[in-house]
Amino acid sequence: MAEPRSEGTLVRYYCTYGKGMEPFLIDEVKRKLAAEDVCQISGIDRVSELKAAERLFLLLKKDSPVLLPAHTNQAKASSVLQSRVLGDKDQWSSAVMTWSRLQGELSGLQEGSGRNVDNTAEDLTVQKVEHGTTTEGRDETLLQPSLIKPEPPSPAAVTFRISCKCTGSLSRYYSQQEVSRVIGVGLSRLMGWKADLKNPQLEVNVYLSDDNCLVGFPLTRLPLANRSYIKTTGLRSTVAWAMASLAQIQPGFCVVDPMCGVGTILIEAAQEHQDVCFLGMDIDDGQLKKANENVEFAELGNRMHLLKASSMTLPLPSSTVDAVVCDLPFGRKFGTKTDMAANLPQSSVSVVPWFFLLSPQLSCVLKKLLAQKDTGPTSNQEAKPGKQDCPSLSLSSTKQQTSQIQQGVQSPPTQETEAPSGLQHTPGNASTQLRGHRWASHKYVKMDT
Amino acid sequence: MKLLTHNMLTSHVKGVTKGYPLLIKATEVKVNEVDFNPQFVSRMIPKLEWSALVQAADELGHRQDLPVELVPEYEKNEEFLKKVHRVLLEVEVIEGCLRCPESGREFPISRGIPNMLLNDDEV
Repeated sequence: MAEPRSEGTLVRYYCTYGKGMEPFLIDEVKRKLAAEDVCQISGIDRVSELKAAERLFLLLKKDSPVLLPAHTNQAKASSVLQSRVLGDKDQWSSAVMTWSRLQGELSGLQEGSGRNVDNTAEDLTVQKVEHGTTTEGRDETLLQPSLIKPEPPSPAAVTFRISCKCTGSLSRYYSQQEVSRVIGVGLSRLMGWKADLKNPQLEVNVYLSDDNCLVGFPLTRLPLANRSYIKTTGLRSTVAWAMASLAQIQPGFCVVDPMCGVGTILIEAAQEHQDVCFLGMDIDDGQLKKANENVEFAELGNRMHLLKASSMTLPLPSSTVDAVVCDLPFGRKFGTKTDMAANLPQSSVSVVPWFFLLSPQLSCVLKKLLAQKDTGPTSNQEAKPGKQDCPSLSLSSTKQQTSQIQQGVQSPPTQETEAPSGLQHTPGNASTQLRGHRWASHKYVKMDT
Repeated sequence: MKLLTHNMLTSHVKGVTKGYPLLIKATEVKVNEVDFNPQFVSRMIPKLEWSALVQAADELGHRQDLPVELVPEYEKNEEFLKKVHRVLLEVEVIEGCLRCPESGREFPISRGIPNMLLNDDEV
């Protein structure tokens, strides 16, 4: 991976994200920052509004991995570590200046003052999106915008803390605490900064693996995944956002979540889409109360509405809904039996895509149903339990599984009337896997029965 | 419950063929000011059952002078969109109930949230 560097004027970011979220984050970065082509974006406010990412960092350096020679002694190893991770003094001072300037911009954003005018002079250019894959699934997406304007004066000596994550061969020599200590001592000596574990001004994140050596400063105290507009959280915000983005909501849509809980998916979707009507339903008063508070808190009362209703009989006429998003009860936290999946599609909503968040078990149940429908009972080729693509938990198999599903879907429907629910699975679905949960967007079309 | 929601609701009580539109019996109605978004309103109008909206607004005494028939080229008619906006989003039924026009089944509305749950024997 070639890394374009221009002399001292480059601001590079990276962010972390949950396992399985990378396609969504990459897509979001491309779409929102227009990072594929060189273009102007209006500063850090855009980067800090990424929804699929967990945390955002200012990249100080990204290097080849630190590999210690075999049978090295402790002192030697420490000095290798220090010189490799710390490097150049100037790099640190300029990074801290950039960091402090961005902090200023961010706090300006949080105050919500009319910032657009004074920010236009500081436009950043995104040059490239890089996608580095690590074995741990803690992948980093690198944004490399170059800065046009010089930064404000340098801050005085800072207090800092090292947060270290260490995997691979290095972790066999050292614990993470030891690495943090060695780097902390080195940084203190190099820059004259003071370590302060409890209340530092600056946090330095070091990530050492067999593929990478990554150093950066977090730009926000709270992770990006902490949403300022959600009061009570249900489903993890990044997953909910990704769910909503899969539904490909268009202006004028009416989007329903028949089991909305506290409404996380719809709120995430409503943040992205102004001209869309969202309808959340649940049968539980407690959840609806919290959902109602969330709607008020996020000031979405104009386009998000709540109902107490059962997902089995949605109180809606046909053809009023354009998309259904739903986090199906996992059958663990909210003890629902897996036959839920079989019963679910018997609702009154027709000809709309459904997007489900599914646990592995539910995914299997649903897939079996679909396989029966698509191939008919006489063809047992797809319906064999061994052939079913019950998802495993490894990330690397995601691609393979996706293609398997599509194979299953593309097989010609021979006996479509066998469908127990009167729904036909249609091609063109997407799926991925998040945190061990199978996440599939199944597209259903109701048939005349 | 806002009238936008009401416009989409239907009763699926067993045996009912046309449980639409639901009649509103309101005991408490509030009018909250909501930011006017003309795009949202003009996107929603094609999805509405216009006569049901006019009827519901009439029942609540907030019809203003909304016409029986939808006006042509409403997208450009800001005054009209503002009226629709008011009816759709600002008028809110806090307490009361919705009545199925065919079976007479009543669905209570409490704290602004309609309860459309059916008993097992009604499904």
